[in-house]
Amino acid sequence: MGRDLLAYKGIMKVLASVLFITLIEVASIILQAKLLSTWLFQLFNGSIFRKTLTIGILFITTFVIRHFVVMIKKKITFHYAQRTSITMKKQLLTKIFELGPKFTNKQGTAKLVTLAMEGTTQVRTYLELLIPKMVAAFVIPAVIFIYVFFQDKLSSIILFLTLPIIVAFMILLGLAANKKMEKQWDDYHLLSNHYLDSLRGMETLKYLGLSKKHGATIDDVSDSYRKSTMGTLRIAFLSSFALDFFTMLSVASVAVGLGLRLINGELLLDVALLILILSPEFFLPIKEVGSDYHATLNGQEAAKAIRTIIEEEEKDELVVSSSKGWNRSSILKLSSVNYAHENDQQSALSSIGFQVKGFERIGIVGASGAGKSTLIDILGGFLQPDQGTFRVHDQILPTLTSNGWRKQVTYLPQHPYLFSDSLAENIRFYNQDATRDMVEKAVVSAGLIEMMKSLPNGLDEEIGNGQRSLSGGQEQRVALARALVSDRPILLLDEPTAHLDIETEYELKEKMLGLFENKLVFFATHRLHWMEQMDRIIVLKDGEIAEMGTLDELMKLKGEYYSLILTQLEGIQ
Amino acid sequence: MKTWLIPYVKLHYKGLLLSIFLGLFALFCGSALMFTSGFLISKSALRPENILMVYVPIVGVRTFGISRAVIQYLSRLSSHHTILGILSDMRGKLYRVLELQAAFLHSRLKTGSVLGVLVDDIDHLQDLFIRTILPSIVSLGMYATVVLSLGWFDWTFAILIACYVFLLVILIPIASLAYLRISLKFIKKDRNIQYQELTDSTLGIRDWMVTGRQSELINQSQVKDQIVTRLEAKAKKVKRLRDFISQLVIGAIVISMVYWSSGMVGSDRLSVTMIAAFVLVTISISEAFLPVSDAIEKLPEYSDSIHRLKQLEEHIGEDDNHEYQTLSNNNMLINLKDVFFKYPDSERFVLNGIDLTISQGEKIAILGRSGAGKSSIVQLITGVRGATQGQVEINGYSPQAIGDSLFEKISVLNQRPHLFNTTIYNNIRLANQNAAAEEVYEVARKVGLYDYIMTLPKGFDTHMSESGSIFSGGQQQRIALARTLLKGSSVVILDEPTVGLDPETESALLTTIFTALQDKTLIWITHHLTGVQKMDEVIFLEDGKIVMRGSHQELMKKDARYRGLYYLDVPKSVRKYLSGI
Repeated sequence: MGRDLLAYKGIMKVLASVLFITLIEVASIILQAKLLSTWLFQLFNGSIFRKTLTIGILFITTFVIRHFVVMIKKKITFHYAQRTSITMKKQLLTKIFELGPKFTNKQGTAKLVTLAMEGTTQVRTYLELLIPKMVAAFVIPAVIFIYVFFQDKLSSIILFLTLPIIVAFMILLGLAANKKMEKQWDDYHLLSNHYLDSLRGMETLKYLGLSKKHGATIDDVSDSYRKSTMGTLRIAFLSSFALDFFTMLSVASVAVGLGLRLINGELLLDVALLILILSPEFFLPIKEVGSDYHATLNGQEAAKAIRTIIEEEEKDELVVSSSKGWNRSSILKLSSVNYAHENDQQSALSSIGFQVKGFERIGIVGASGAGKSTLIDILGGFLQPDQGTFRVHDQILPTLTSNGWRKQVTYLPQHPYLFSDSLAENIRFYNQDATRDMVEKAVVSAGLIEMMKSLPNGLDEEIGNGQRSLSGGQEQRVALARALVSDRPILLLDEPTAHLDIETEYELKEKMLGLFENKLVFFATHRLHWMEQMDRIIVLKDGEIAEMGTLDELMKLKGEYYSLILTQLEGIQ
Repeated sequence: MKTWLIPYVKLHYKGLLLSIFLGLFALFCGSALMFTSGFLISKSALRPENILMVYVPIVGVRTFGISRAVIQYLSRLSSHHTILGILSDMRGKLYRVLELQAAFLHSRLKTGSVLGVLVDDIDHLQDLFIRTILPSIVSLGMYATVVLSLGWFDWTFAILIACYVFLLVILIPIASLAYLRISLKFIKKDRNIQYQELTDSTLGIRDWMVTGRQSELINQSQVKDQIVTRLEAKAKKVKRLRDFISQLVIGAIVISMVYWSSGMVGSDRLSVTMIAAFVLVTISISEAFLPVSDAIEKLPEYSDSIHRLKQLEEHIGEDDNHEYQTLSNNNMLINLKDVFFKYPDSERFVLNGIDLTISQGEKIAILGRSGAGKSSIVQLITGVRGATQGQVEINGYSPQAIGDSLFEKISVLNQRPHLFNTTIYNNIRLANQNAAAEEVYEVARKVGLYDYIMTLPKGFDTHMSESGSIFSGGQQQRIALARTLLKGSSVVILDEPTVGLDPETESALLTTIFTALQDKTLIWITHHLTGVQKMDEVIFLEDGKIVMRGSHQELMKKDARYRGLYYLDVPKSVRKYLSGI
């Protein structure tokens, strides 16, 4: 533990100051013990309290100094830990938004967000706890040992010998516990999952008429859960028992040893007292290293995970000349574009090649997993293909992932992103300069006027998470309004209506068609009725283009598209 | 508090008392070690003639040294044993509380993750007991012991020490809690908002990339971080100061102790050997009071957990103990007469006068926008909720009077059939525990899964958790369908089981469903028209009223609006080609 500490930026400076403060701390610990024992010795020898006041004042001064420097030490480490965790968070977020959806899909949104929020906090706690503890564990026992050695060799040897015994027992017990705990852990895991599983499936149990009966099973399982946990704990607590046992035993032996030598007159009471006061202080920092073990472990793991992401390599970005926007005569040509999937969420594509010109409307259809969304992601510049080239105007590019290209794109997914701000700001998302007038017009064209009127603050009503939840249809209308004010020449739609009821889809379709004018449109969907409004259709099958052509051509061909229509009609006719 | 803590404290009071006693005793042994050590060396310094004079303190030092660790260990075991027993009871209770609202759990709690949170909440209560309540009580017990034993020597001094310790155990913790509570609340709130926003923006990562304003987003998040950071730094500062002040109080206690004991010795009311003993024990005990502040400080963290659990209670009606009707007949006649319905916490009527009769074997589809009242009809028929006005009857009985045995006759297939973490075989057989293996295979064949399951290495004995997701969405629905078939109920309610499936999977699944359930009554909630022509009647709901009804053929003939919707799915070009086949 602790070796990875050295990888943090600016750690040396912090370690140096903490080391310096810890030296002051240990000096005041010893001085304080020395003063207290002298003071008690004088009183023991019959001095009156008032006459020993100087020494009492000195004692309390060192006492205050000791705790004051501890406070400073905590402050320094906390601020360092906080700074570091904030920097890490920023680096992490920057990286995530550079790497794009391929990365977030692969890692999982929930995991990344937890890492950015919880992970960085854990790193902070880790640094905050570990830095002072590590320094203290190295410095304080060593200094106290040396000091005690010059006071009374025998006591110092007892203290010193306890250390390897503690370590040896901790290792032995640790090994035994680990073995047993691994086994117990499986049971524990199984039982804990059973409970959650039962809660999640309760609706199903209810509909099967079993939910009441299952209550008894829960009690049984819960009870075995308790027993198995106790089994684990009995072992887990043993290590802290050993630590406790040997330190206490060591202190007791020191005390008895001192007593015997006092009787024989080999020692004076003040030295004996001094050693007795110092011996718990000798063990304290070592004990503390073991506490908060889980917090430090979590922090270490989180830091490792965050570093891996930050150090993730990113391929060079190629800039599409943004001076030349997409227009009526522009040409985009894809040649043998390949994308191999590293995970289940993104389907593979192989040897995709086609050419589009100007403001064509292209439908993209195919069964689930055929690669429709992957193609949209590549066309939107969210995903970098493994192979292949793109010709845009006269430029040959290996990828479309550049801000220049993306700035021409409007994207309408199944669940458009609404952030918590006013309705108007959400509509301005792509185009910050849009005037109030433009926004209002877009609201009318997107059919949002009814909803806007129903909101207490109209356009300025807060929407997005936790504020005012919109229905799926309303979300799409906001996205539509957003597309209208941005007026970008390329429009990508990824299954925007799949989850809507048929009446809402019907109304939305009327509004959406107006948006397709004078734009290059790529529309990926299962809902084949949209293909009526497309100029050409790409039919994907297992990541390849099976067919491409106009609706009429494909229907006449009686190939893949035709059979898609037939399968879907089976449910209808 | 009343429902989630107190009853359990009463039930397990013996274990709790034992844990508190052992905790106190461990603390006592630790202090006694220092006390006897101090006494031992002082006594030895007087150089007694015989070593036997210090024999008792020597034994004491050794005994306390050893027993402190042993008792500490026992105390931890005992407290965990008790608390785990309490938690086990609580889990059972949570299950029963949730069971009463099982059928609308999803609409109330929205996602499965909330259930995970509730389970965690119970685990948090474990920490509440072990990290906060027990240590605080032990400290209070120690406080009382210290004051009483000092009182035995000198009551005035005991009162002085009582005041000091009052600062340590009561005043400082409560003051810092009161102060920190507010800032902790803000920190938590801000962090939750950040959490939510970050999740949303990560999900909307494509939208952000399209705007090219990613750096703006990160800067925004940095600004919010700084607000939280400042609050956290302030809270930490308060804690550091608090700890420092507590140490000063300890310093004052030590000095007072030195003053008092030397005074007592001076007036011969105390042996000289006691000075060191008293001072050493003071240092050791005072440190035991320090953790109280940290323990109390955790209270706000638990209040959310307790609050969430308490909220659950508020939603349960009284547990039903009345006699249930049993349905002997397999012919189900479902009848809704002039039914009005609104949710208890809302003013708006979801259903406004529904008349509907469904006889055995009839097949109806119910369509409408979200919020039109489709799901409410299901809840009324299954007796999950009662009509606000009007009558809902199944064979003449109210569904609520039939209770859970209703589900022997009625099956529900919804969007989220749960596959339990056990084998495929058990998952299907769940529906009918008396079914023979052959029957299980038979229903698997009927839903078209048998061949697929046999391709798995372990066949029907494959565990659900073994390979992540063995089943796709469509296949999960097929398992649920197999359960329905095995149960053999005469009415099947399909509550949008195909949502989220692609059209090809959907139409294949619907074909299987309709074939397998030929002779059953079907009530099918859906949001588009795929498959409705296989139904006897199609009903459109709007604002809680039936606005269109009739068979597909009738509606195609007489209703222009219906035709418009239908033609959306079957556009001109397709119709042209279809007539050509």
